[in-house]
Amino acid sequence: MIGDFIDGPLWYLSLTVFLLGVVWRLVAILRVGVAPDFSTARHGGAGGALRTLFTRSLPRRPVFTRGKVQLIAGYMFHLGLFALLFLAQPHVEFISERITGFGWVTLPHWGFILAAEVAFAGLLLLLLYRLMNPVTRLISDTGDYTASLLVFLVMLSGCLALAQAYEGLRLLHLLLAELLLIYFPFSTLMHAFTFAISRGYTGAAMARKGVNA
Amino acid sequence: MYRPVSGTAILRLLQLLIVLALVVAGNLSAQTQAEGIQLPNPGTDLWREVRQRAQPATPGPTSPMRQAPGIDLWSEVQQTNPVPAGNTQVKSVDSGMLINPVGDQWRRFRMEMLVPYGGYVLGGALLLTLAFYLIRGRVPIHAGPSDKRLLRYTVYERMIHWFIAAIFLFLALTGLTMLFGRSLLIPLLGPEAFSLLASASKEGHNLFGPLFLLALALIFFRFVRRNIYQRGDLAWLLRGGGVIGSKHVPSNFFNMGEKSMFWMLVLVGGVTALSGIILVFPILGLGRELMALSHVAHGVTAMAMMVVIVGHIYIGSIGMEGALEGMATGYCDLNWAREHHDWWAEQCEQNGEVVSVEEAAGTEGFAQGAPKHAPLGETGK
Amino acid sequence: MARMKFYCDAERCIECNGCVTACKNENEVPWGVNRRRVVTIKDGVPGERSLSVACMHCSDAPCAAVCPVDCFYTTEDGVVLHDKDICIGCGYCFYACPFGAPQFPADGAFATRGKMDKCTFCAGGPKADNSAEEYRKYGSNRLAEGKLPLCAEMCSTKALLAGDADVLSEIYRKRIVYRAASSLQRGVSYQDATLRSPSGLTGRASSNE
Repeated sequence: MIGDFIDGPLWYLSLTVFLLGVVWRLVAILRVGVAPDFSTARHGGAGGALRTLFTRSLPRRPVFTRGKVQLIAGYMFHLGLFALLFLAQPHVEFISERITGFGWVTLPHWGFILAAEVAFAGLLLLLLYRLMNPVTRLISDTGDYTASLLVFLVMLSGCLALAQAYEGLRLLHLLLAELLLIYFPFSTLMHAFTFAISRGYTGAAMARKGVNA
Repeated sequence: MYRPVSGTAILRLLQLLIVLALVVAGNLSAQTQAEGIQLPNPGTDLWREVRQRAQPATPGPTSPMRQAPGIDLWSEVQQTNPVPAGNTQVKSVDSGMLINPVGDQWRRFRMEMLVPYGGYVLGGALLLTLAFYLIRGRVPIHAGPSDKRLLRYTVYERMIHWFIAAIFLFLALTGLTMLFGRSLLIPLLGPEAFSLLASASKEGHNLFGPLFLLALALIFFRFVRRNIYQRGDLAWLLRGGGVIGSKHVPSNFFNMGEKSMFWMLVLVGGVTALSGIILVFPILGLGRELMALSHVAHGVTAMAMMVVIVGHIYIGSIGMEGALEGMATGYCDLNWAREHHDWWAEQCEQNGEVVSVEEAAGTEGFAQGAPKHAPLGETGK
Repeated sequence: MARMKFYCDAERCIECNGCVTACKNENEVPWGVNRRRVVTIKDGVPGERSLSVACMHCSDAPCAAVCPVDCFYTTEDGVVLHDKDICIGCGYCFYACPFGAPQFPADGAFATRGKMDKCTFCAGGPKADNSAEEYRKYGSNRLAEGKLPLCAEMCSTKALLAGDADVLSEIYRKRIVYRAASSLQRGVSYQDATLRSPSGLTGRASSNE
């Protein structure tokens, strides 16, 4: 049956594609290497890289003045999605059962729902901002819309399956999540991993120059 | 926006009032109809005798111990006020209540009012809109499309509009699924498939409900200043927004009909959202009376909103040439603005805010001197 | 066909909660769910009476009328049952029921009620009779074994009766008549009887049932 396929081979296939794809993409990026910097370093790069990795998670003052909506919506979406994905009880159970073999602390059900509300509001507003703002619309390509739409559909199907009583709804959610996993390494969604590289690179370069950035 | 629809908007308001009156009348008649069922009971005469003897011959306080058993009990049990009268070891919502006095009224409301009349009202609104379209047709831009544009909505304004629009449509569809699904969808899908659909609708409806409140708040704070009634709105109303007679009725950025829709959505939609939030928190241990009341408020106000939104969607899309443009691209045609919001258009022209089609297409939210109400920048805050 | 009903005699119920315990034990209902409860009216004041109440298996059940997914059905024995595979846990049956019979395993925020659970008249559910799945979802199916609900069977004072409505109303009628007769003969309500010295009129005062 199609259900067995979704919850069996396709799950392992998508997980494999995701893992191999991410590793392949990261290796490809790292193999490009960094242009040599011949100037004398004023500080070591490692500290700056590490610091930037975290400080860049907080908005700078000029960002506030540019536009509050996409800033707030961006935080709402990313924090909400993170809480949904890694702290919701059904997800932790699934990860524990299928992948890690151990679970961790989970949000209470109301926390799960609250995270979903926050993430949905953020995602919808960001998607609309992307569509409405002429600049973001100009620089958005099919890949961006596909990624946004897939994430939205995964979240929506998950929200519809909240009763956790219908196999059909669970399989729909799982199928969409699998499609997202397969799509992930080949799209801009890779920023979930590559942000560390770019921030680290910037931080290290600036630290070597002695610039507080 | 949209002058001609308001004649029908008034009609719809009347429809709504009629439905409300029916609901109230139904409840009143339900109370007066409380007749008992008489069954032959061989013990009746005996007990009448017992009751008479239990009454003291002389008026005065009755000894509690001399009361005939079971006589006062049932008046206590068939309580008319929904306050639990009894004690029980089971601690849950209303567990001390033997007979719930509001359940039957609520059932009558849902099954005999909300489902049939809600269907009629909603179907009637759709048919009325269709008839209006067939009779009046699409309202054209009389002067024809121009090559000049006015900035009507900023990016932020369009964002929150489509935000609330998406949430509203989702909530309306899921809500209607739960309301009419039993009569319309079970025959088509079968009970198992409909159960899945209804569960998905319920969970989605509950999760997106609070987002509607958020969206409503964003809409309110953004648009409230332009929706305050002003001089000229009464004249607009008296002439039915241009439906009555052929003369044009002047208006500002929003006309009287749009303002009324805004206020109705804020007030009625607020009731819908808040009553919905009461309904999704059974954990608070709220009694069934409040839940039933919330459900009544939720159903009636949601129906009213859906009827109004049918008109809004119609006139904002196929009903009027140039109406969708403002909300889709941010810019509206100058001739459209002159015909439907002439005071606002005049003001914009005086301030030199008219841009060409090319400018509008290229810059949108980043036009040079953006109008006062829409400060430069994508968020507008 | 038989038409199954409960009857609780307020003159006999001693609020021992034996029926509640019997029900919980027989049907293995989850925490927080009580298919049956004993409600005491005028607790601690003269005229106190107790009644054991659960689903009354209405002939024209309001829960079935309002259910948005139409998961209720009435068996040949007149028992109102519901299908937990269809139920979506909306809580409408609870709002409509006069007796507060429908129960929900969780009353979480955001309407995370589980599937509704209520008294089945010990008649199980739509699954195969006495199957493991039926027991897990609906509890025991004593009716299929030819037994009556355990709450009534275990009632120590025979206040709670369960069975065919014709039989029950016959018993009820008898009890009523005997009580009235005893009241008339003694000149007072029989509840005063313990306060009075024996008057020699013995025998008729106590019910034959």
